[in-house]
Amino acid sequence: MTAVRRFGALLMAILRELADENAYQRHLTLHGREHSAAEWRKFSEERLRARYMRARCC
Amino acid sequence: MKLLGHLFWAAVAALAAFCLGGIAIYRGEHINSIWLVLAAACTYAVGFRFYAKFIAARVMALNNKRATPAERLRNGHDFEPTNKWILFGHHFAAIAGPGPLVGPVLAAQFGYLPGTLWIIIGAVLGGAVQDFFILFASIRRDGKSLGQMAREEIGSVGGAIALVTVLMIMIILLAPVALVVVNALKSSPWATFTIAATMPIAVFMGLYLRYWRPGKVLECSALGFLLVMADIFAGRWVAASSTLAPIFTLSAMALAIAIIIYGFLASALPVWLLLAPRDYLSTFVKLGVILMLAAGILFVRPELQLPAFTRFIDGTGPIFAGKIFPFCFITIACGAISGFHSLISSGTTPKMIAREGHAWPVGYGSMLLESFVAIMAMIAACVMQPGVYFAVNSPAGVVGATPAAAVATISSWGFPVGVAQMQELARNVGEQTLFNRTGGAPSLALGMAHIFSRTGGGQAVIGFWYHFAIMFEALFILTIIDAGTRVGRFMLQDLLGHVSAPLGRTSWMPGVIGASAAIVAGWGYFLVQGVRDPLGGINSLWPLFGISNQLLAAIALCVATTILLKMHGAKYMWITCLPLAWLVTVTFSAAWQKIFSPLPALGFLAQAAKLEAALAAGSVADASTTKALIFNARLDAFVCGIFLLLVAAILLDSIRVWVGILRGKRDARVCEAPFVLTELRAEEL
Repeated sequence: MTAVRRFGALLMAILRELADENAYQRHLTLHGREHSAAEWRKFSEERLRARYMRARCC
Repeated sequence: MKLLGHLFWAAVAALAAFCLGGIAIYRGEHINSIWLVLAAACTYAVGFRFYAKFIAARVMALNNKRATPAERLRNGHDFEPTNKWILFGHHFAAIAGPGPLVGPVLAAQFGYLPGTLWIIIGAVLGGAVQDFFILFASIRRDGKSLGQMAREEIGSVGGAIALVTVLMIMIILLAPVALVVVNALKSSPWATFTIAATMPIAVFMGLYLRYWRPGKVLECSALGFLLVMADIFAGRWVAASSTLAPIFTLSAMALAIAIIIYGFLASALPVWLLLAPRDYLSTFVKLGVILMLAAGILFVRPELQLPAFTRFIDGTGPIFAGKIFPFCFITIACGAISGFHSLISSGTTPKMIAREGHAWPVGYGSMLLESFVAIMAMIAACVMQPGVYFAVNSPAGVVGATPAAAVATISSWGFPVGVAQMQELARNVGEQTLFNRTGGAPSLALGMAHIFSRTGGGQAVIGFWYHFAIMFEALFILTIIDAGTRVGRFMLQDLLGHVSAPLGRTSWMPGVIGASAAIVAGWGYFLVQGVRDPLGGINSLWPLFGISNQLLAAIALCVATTILLKMHGAKYMWITCLPLAWLVTVTFSAAWQKIFSPLPALGFLAQAAKLEAALAAGSVADASTTKALIFNARLDAFVCGIFLLLVAAILLDSIRVWVGILRGKRDARVCEAPFVLTELRAEEL
């Protein structure tokens, strides 16, 4: 049961990483800020700008 | 315990050899797909456990006590130590594109054996080594890109070639993948409606994320997925409606124009509105479908209907012209070795690696998983009856424009198929016709639908699964098109910024619109060329894409060989030199044949000459179209020639550097960041 729970937690962590939710949490922690709509928009714009400047795989 | 370990790995190696030998030698009626699965899985396991471990320990000397850039340059954004399995998922999601799905489906025209062997052996000895080594090199150089490493290790010529190549590949890549979508959607109201409806769904998701539930990406993507599922069911209703079906029944040219407009909008509009939400959704759907396909194959264990070899190994194939060597090896790039992966391995991933040892599973292991995706695509293509496979994938210019002509031609090749059989199949999956649906996507969707429907529901649900697979492929490919166009725009603006400062500003609207239009015009031209091509477009565009991708892999392997030489002299240079020698041989042979072959179906210049002769003799129906086809054939030959010159230039430049190092006349110091002891604790990961 513990193994299943650990696998589920790992799966969720991968999904949250792919969804940029982990990166957003790191951003809030690093800058000591609270979540808000404006903060998300600022973070998201910076992150997406960087992401779409790099070549994508085929 | 150690003895048990040895016995276990001996058994795995024996099973790998037995399965590989089995699929290579067996010539009975049909072979079960589980043979391919076992051959691949066991070979990957042995390659990962022994070859990759040897490279990690002896060659790279990975050191978990050495602080990585993620720790030393930690900034909470790009540089962040990340759990290895999370990073494995992240890296795999970044390298898995449509290439490993489409390439094997097209290469199945040779039979299942050549492509399968190339996918397995190419990945273990070439593709995974390239990804692993470039990741390692980037980690040791503060996360530098391939271009920066090429400039530092080889010289400014290598760096400049790497930059030019990436921009050219971006343009060339987008055209064939867009053509795959066009051919999947043409004359199909169900599929066209399903994909068209994903645009407003993406905009809804963008607004949801920005204004209604900021930061809730997983929640928003789950909602988007439910809407897309509902959209597939709605598509069936639209296709049955006498009012709506004609609106969504579009020709190939109309679809090409729609995709070109879409690419422009996605590049010029704010990224959060359309591009990013589609990208999130596409990533989750992609991973989910790959898992579903793996589970489906293991559950159903379908038999392969295509033979080990077909008669088309002689180069007369209807899907693309050319013999197994070199064309099998450029048609399947991403599942075996892909230059594009070197951009990912020197992009985000090296900045997130927490321990050097994690590069082994992340770099080498992710490529093995990608290779397994290619094996699954090969299985999905080969579970179809050969006659059906060729009827779907062959262009009208080769087999004939009418169903009767097509089945007569294909049956004469020894692959019997009937008009009634194709009509029934089309009716079952909710399509008007399945003839001449080139590009690989419809046949892959048919194979996937065949596997999924056998897990439960049978023929009653095959239509849903077919359109689910088409939705998955198109969603996936359109994300590559919109993101690729945007990346190309940034690259172009970066270059133009050296000429005029405002053109380089990514917030200056005239610059944004102009650069977006230029990139869209670049790949849009090749897309329209593919749509007009009587041989289906894939015949000329996919090899161009394969050659350019393998060229990038050659550049990455040149960089890797140079670094290896500086680290160990000539002792281990065979590790990267062997795949490099193979790639150079393949790329040169393929490019040479595509330009100079006297066969019009294969050589661009011969094709142009044949059309010119027909034009001069007055035996063509439309002179202006023929003139355009002649120009296109010569343009393709020119592009191919440019690729050849680029390979030759970087190879000669690299050899010059290697000879200098081996003779002791060049500086052989590696450009690594200095050693810093890690302070990262295990519980932080």
